Amino acid sequence: MTDTRIALTILGGYLGSGKTTWLRHQLHIGARPHVIINEAAEMPVDDLLLQGANGLTVLAGGCACCTGKAALIAALRHLCDQRSGGAQIPEIILETSGLADPGAIATAIQTDPVLIHHLRLTRIIVMVDALHGLAQLASDPLGRAQISAADDLIVTKTDSPQLAILRATLRYLNPTATLTATAFGSPIALPDSKAAPLTDFGYDTPPITALKLALPEIDWASLSLWLSALLHVHGDNLIRVKGCVQTPAGRLLIQAVRRTVQPPEILPDHAENALVFIGHGISHAQLHLSLSRFISG
Amino acid sequence: MCSACGFPARPGHWTDAGLTTAHDRIRARFTRATLLQKLLKPYGLTAHDDGLTGLRLSTLSGASVMVDGLDDLWTKAATLAGRPIDVL
Repeated sequence: MTDTRIALTILGGYLGSGKTTWLRHQLHIGARPHVIINEAAEMPVDDLLLQGANGLTVLAGGCACCTGKAALIAALRHLCDQRSGGAQIPEIILETSGLADPGAIATAIQTDPVLIHHLRLTRIIVMVDALHGLAQLASDPLGRAQISAADDLIVTKTDSPQLAILRATLRYLNPTATLTATAFGSPIALPDSKAAPLTDFGYDTPPITALKLALPEIDWASLSLWLSALLHVHGDNLIRVKGCVQTPAGRLLIQAVRRTVQPPEILPDHAENALVFIGHGISHAQLHLSLSRFISG
Repeated sequence: MCSACGFPARPGHWTDAGLTTAHDRIRARFTRATLLQKLLKPYGLTAHDDGLTGLRLSTLSGASVMVDGLDDLWTKAATLAGRPIDVL
């Protein structure tokens, strides 16, 4: 069955990280999405730079992950109404404000009773400024939240001497996101190096680890019950859960950001039956034992 | 929301995605009820699904609540048990 929902991409990143520049380049090379720009400030300016879009919505004066959430939901519902009325809106790119947590926005959209039927969140792209990125990550937990919510990390301003350290740090914070770099939209290679030490925020945070749990013979009813219980209690520590699970309906793509699980999509049958967990203070042995104990009772 | 058909209803729970037929759904309910009986026993709770009205949680002292979906289940079970239901 073809998924006819509107594809939604969330474009996030810290203030001045190059979101608008990257988006402008995408429009320059031919992309024609409807663009929603959210700016925390009352006076928007980025919309003036994005005139090539197939429609532009500006949400100013409130960050869409908190104070401006209602305005964002209303704007998206309006677009869905237009599309239902015949308007051609195959894709939406939401450029968040630099102060937004993309994960919180994704959660708001996916828990809305109308939008869930009309929008399909395809990916969360987060831009990272190589010049100031390390300092931001060290000083502001928001920067780390943005990185951990990303499916794709794109490094900008790559002439920074800290580029190699930043790459390793990003890999540490989000081991499974794709990591690329652009200079005005053109991809460049990234050097490898050891991670930079992060600032102590005053609490003891275990390191983020990523692990793959191969799934045993288990029915969907049992696995989903276990996973929902796990996310309910440990959702703050489990930043992402991704994977593929065999069910009576076919193989399902499972994607979760903290406690929010996206509506699963059906995948081709050759995908592996496993889940990847990314989070603080988790271990393969602990998860494996928990699932085994859960199944056997 | 349409008061006749209930659409758009609240978002379907993600765990429903793997179940296509009515048979799958009712079997999943009973499978979950059986697993919950084992999981919740150390917490002093019992779970019962009659296949119609939904899942009911009860304490050993007789208090009971109906739960509305899995998210509600874990919240109410934690309230009745006085601690989170931690599968780890």
